[in-house]
Amino acid sequence: MKKMEIRIAGFGGQGVVLLGNIMGKAASIYNKRFAALTQSYGPESRGGSCRAELIISESPIEYPYIIDPGIQVILSQEAYIEFGGKASKDTLLIVDSGLVKVDNSPAAQLLSIPASRMAQEMGRPVVANIIMLGFLAAHSNIISREALERSIKDFIPAGTESFNMKAFEMGYHYSLLGDRPA
Amino acid sequence: MPKVLMDGNSAIGEAAIRAGCQCYFGYPITPQNELIEYMATHLSRRKGCVFVQAESELAAINMVYGASVVGARAMTSSSSPGISLKQEGISYLAACELPAVIVNMSRGGPGLGSIAAAQSDYFQATRGGGHGDYRTIVLAPSSVQELADLTIRAFDLADKYKIPVIILGDGVLGQMMEPVEFKQEAPAVLPVREGSLRGAKGRPSKIIKTFTSNPAELEEINWSLFRRYGLIKKQETTFETFMIDDAKLVVVAFGIAARIAKGAIRNVRAEGLKVGLLRPITLWPFPDEAVKEVVKNVNHFLVFEMNMGQMLEDVQLSLEGKGEVSFYGRPGGVIPTPSEVSRVISRLYYQKGLK
Repeated sequence: MKKMEIRIAGFGGQGVVLLGNIMGKAASIYNKRFAALTQSYGPESRGGSCRAELIISESPIEYPYIIDPGIQVILSQEAYIEFGGKASKDTLLIVDSGLVKVDNSPAAQLLSIPASRMAQEMGRPVVANIIMLGFLAAHSNIISREALERSIKDFIPAGTESFNMKAFEMGYHYSLLGDRPA
Repeated sequence: MPKVLMDGNSAIGEAAIRAGCQCYFGYPITPQNELIEYMATHLSRRKGCVFVQAESELAAINMVYGASVVGARAMTSSSSPGISLKQEGISYLAACELPAVIVNMSRGGPGLGSIAAAQSDYFQATRGGGHGDYRTIVLAPSSVQELADLTIRAFDLADKYKIPVIILGDGVLGQMMEPVEFKQEAPAVLPVREGSLRGAKGRPSKIIKTFTSNPAELEEINWSLFRRYGLIKKQETTFETFMIDDAKLVVVAFGIAARIAKGAIRNVRAEGLKVGLLRPITLWPFPDEAVKEVVKNVNHFLVFEMNMGQMLEDVQLSLEGKGEVSFYGRPGGVIPTPSEVSRVISRLYYQKGLK
C-alpha cells in the first residue's frame, strides 16, 4: 500500500472523529507511516452531519484532503446518500446495516455490520464505533491490529478497557462469520 | 519527545509553552478555537502562567501589550476578522518596540467571510496591517510540524528584534492533524526580557508610550525602526526550493497552497514537465533575492495563491520587470486540488512553448 484514503461519515455523537483519531494515531505513531487527518462537522455537537477523513501514506502527504477514498465507513443514511452513491468501483464501502439502507451502489465491495444494534445488545451503545473499527481492521490491512488496539487504549477513558476491547473483538470476529450481502 | 498526532492549533499551543510563553490572551473564533482551548487546559495549569479569555479581540491584544511591557513572552491568536480588530494594538506594539506573537489562522473574506481556509490576509500581514509606518515579521508555515517549529522561532525573533511577529496560517493547517515532534522542553524558569518594566527601584522611572508631540523625535523613532527592519531583512529571510535546479517554470506559493503546488509539480514532473517551486517561509521579509536568483535561469513564473493575487505583487516587485509572471488564484475559502493546479501548470507550460 503506497497511499490509502479513508472517509468515516455519520452524525455527531457517533464517535466519528474519535475513530479518525484512533486510526490516525495507530497509523502514524505506531505504524510509523505518514498521516493527515481532517474533520468536518456542523455547528451542532450532536446530530449534525460529521465526518473524519484520513490519508495514510508511505511518503509525505502534500494535499491533506481525500480525493478518491479507498475505504468509506458510512454510519448514517444521510452520509450514504451524500457519499455512498458516489463511491468509485474500487471503494470498499462499509455500512452500519442498522442505520443505513443501501441501494444499488457501484462500489466493488460492500460490507455491512449491524454495529449499533450489537452495541445496544451489549448494553453499551457508545461502543458501536469500536465494533465498526474491529470489523474494518479484519477487512483491511492498512493499519496493524496491534497498533489499533494500542491506540484505542490511548483514547478511551480509564476503566473502560475491557468492554471496548470486547467490542473491538466482536467487530473483528463478526467478519469471520462470513460476509453477508447488505 | 516521541512524535504525537496533533491538530495544528494545538501544536502551536504546545510549542508556545515550550518556548516559554507565559501569557496567552484570546477571544474565540473559528478556525483557531483549538488553540484557545489548548491554552485554557495546559497553559493555565503551569506555575506563574496566565490564560485569559478576554472580552474582545481588542482587550486581548492590549493584554498582550501589558504583558510584553513587563517582559513576559506573550501571545494572542485569532482568525481574519478578529485580526482586523487587533490592528490598533499591533501598531502600538510596533511603535513601542515590544515583542509579541500573534497567530492568524486565516479564513475567507472580506467581511465576516467564511470559516474555510484562505490566504487573503497576505497584504494585511505583510504591510504592517494597522496605521503608521511599520512592519511585522510574518512566518508562513505549511505543515503541523512547521507550525510548531516556527512558533518557537517566532518567540525568539520577537525578543531578538523587539517586534511583533505574525504566524500566518489558515483554517486547513489549524485544524488538520499530522504527526509532530517537539524538539525542546519547556524552560524551567520563565524568561524575562531585559530592560522591561519591573519597578523603578534605584533608577529614574521609564515610560513606554507611543505618543510624542515632537515630529522630529517621532521621525527618529521611524528611522530607528526601519534600520532594524533592514537588519531583519538581511538576517532572517527564509524560503524553501523544490525541484528547481532544471526547472523551466517556477511556481511561487506559500503555506497550504505550496503543499498543493508540490503535489501538482510531482504530477507534471511525471509527464516530463520541468517545473519547480519557490516557497517563501518569511512573507515579510519577502525573499526577493531568491526570486532574483531564480530569474537568472528561469523566465516563467506562476504565482499560485488562495486569494486574488497578493503575494503576486511582491514577486513582480522582486523581478523588477524581468521574466514573465502568470497567476492562478482561488479566493473565498475554496481549496483547489493538486490535479486542478497540474492542469493550470501544464496549460501554461505548453502555451509558453516550454515543451
